[in-house]
Amino acid sequence: MEAEKAIKRTLLLFLHTMNIAFSQVTFAYDVDPIIKNFSLKVTKGDVIGIRGASGSGKTTLFRLLLGFEVPDSGTITFDGERLTPQKLKAFRKNTTWLPQDLNLGDGKVKEVFQYPFTFQANKSQKPDEKKILATFDALGLKKNIWDIDFSNLSTGQRQRVGIALCYLLNKSILILDEPTSALDENSKHQVENLLFDPQRIILSTSHDPWWIDRCTQIVDLNST
Amino acid sequence: MDIIDLTWGQLAIGFGILIIPGLILWKYKTGLLQKMGIAVVRMTLQLIFVGYYLEYLFEYDNPWVNLAWIMIMVIVADFATINRSGLRRSKKLFISIFIATFLGVVIIDLFFLTFVIRLPNIMAAQYTIPITGMVLGNCLRSNVIGMNEFYYSIDQHQERYRFYLANGATQEEALFPFFRTALRKSANPNLAAMATIGLVALPGMMTGQILSGSSPLIAIKYQIMIMIAIFSGTVLSVYLGISISRKFTFDSRGRFDHSMLKKD
Repeated sequence: MEAEKAIKRTLLLFLHTMNIAFSQVTFAYDVDPIIKNFSLKVTKGDVIGIRGASGSGKTTLFRLLLGFEVPDSGTITFDGERLTPQKLKAFRKNTTWLPQDLNLGDGKVKEVFQYPFTFQANKSQKPDEKKILATFDALGLKKNIWDIDFSNLSTGQRQRVGIALCYLLNKSILILDEPTSALDENSKHQVENLLFDPQRIILSTSHDPWWIDRCTQIVDLNST
Repeated sequence: MDIIDLTWGQLAIGFGILIIPGLILWKYKTGLLQKMGIAVVRMTLQLIFVGYYLEYLFEYDNPWVNLAWIMIMVIVADFATINRSGLRRSKKLFISIFIATFLGVVIIDLFFLTFVIRLPNIMAAQYTIPITGMVLGNCLRSNVIGMNEFYYSIDQHQERYRFYLANGATQEEALFPFFRTALRKSANPNLAAMATIGLVALPGMMTGQILSGSSPLIAIKYQIMIMIAIFSGTVLSVYLGISISRKFTFDSRGRFDHSMLKKD
């Protein structure tokens, strides 16, 4: 039953022509706008690399897209429809967000890693332990990490665990905050192998030239 | 043995022992001396008031007056819960906690008074008021722990809550780990109390009954019942308090209203 759902989902993903559009979006936390008249169109297969100095609004763009902040003016649409609270719920079922400093809470990796797969929207993707450990292995994580408290992992290990989660959740829109900041060259290639997919949209922020080189479109917030 | 009533003079002598904690707190400059004085005076005045009031309640034993007294206790507990859990007073929060506490107490009361004690008159003051008071006092303590833990933990770990939402969780799924921790933390003190009762200390209610001339065997039966009532009432009340209040503290996008926290 779950396998059937997964196949159906993959098929729908293939047929679905996705697009996300920011139109003239302006947003301020206080008085001065951090995002001003920002526009961007993204379609399936795009890998967007957003770069900019600290405080230039990279993470704010993601927060706006995910509905954690609301634009002061302008619109954000998914498949041509505004992200209203109702639409947002459906949109978030298609997204995976990997923050720069991932915190999955207290508990062993095996406990906290599996929690997102208990969500109704993700149940069909629930992997078995073998598949999870194989993904960990591909990202250079040792097997014993499974029984370690998540809070005791290094920044690099957390990032890899997050990448493994992104891969296994198998969503159509990936929102990645500095996905390679703590990874070595080999792991970066693995990230590319696991996550890059013409059926997906990837929106990322990065200071890493290696990552930026692989993006199909670069958005420089310093120049907007 | 007959009950030895205390005269007001004997009670006054009892206050004398406060010199010992007073001196210790004064010597170490804890700054608690004034607080101790206020607490002792408040405790004395409140209990004198309650004593006289209960005499009146027991004498007239009018169900409407008893119900009104329970409502007053719940309202006072409601204000105290909001203040002590570090939340800002608001009408919606007040109503949420009122419903949670009231239901928590009433459901437990009805169960024990109807099915266990089997009172012919459900609102009989002698049973209803003390049991409600015991359950309510503990509901207050647990609600403070539960509400504080739930809302401050979401505030502190906002990125984790958002991470769950952004990875497909419904709001309920995203709040589940926070809810679980709040329930654990609020239930733990009562679980610990149940596990050690009788070994470490004799509970107040049982001691009171024995001092008033009851047989220890009757006293323990009531104590067992009241411990179960307290535990059930507190878990129910914390569950309802968080479940109802969260409807008003998150917007339609799932964003938490941080202004409800009374941060320094």
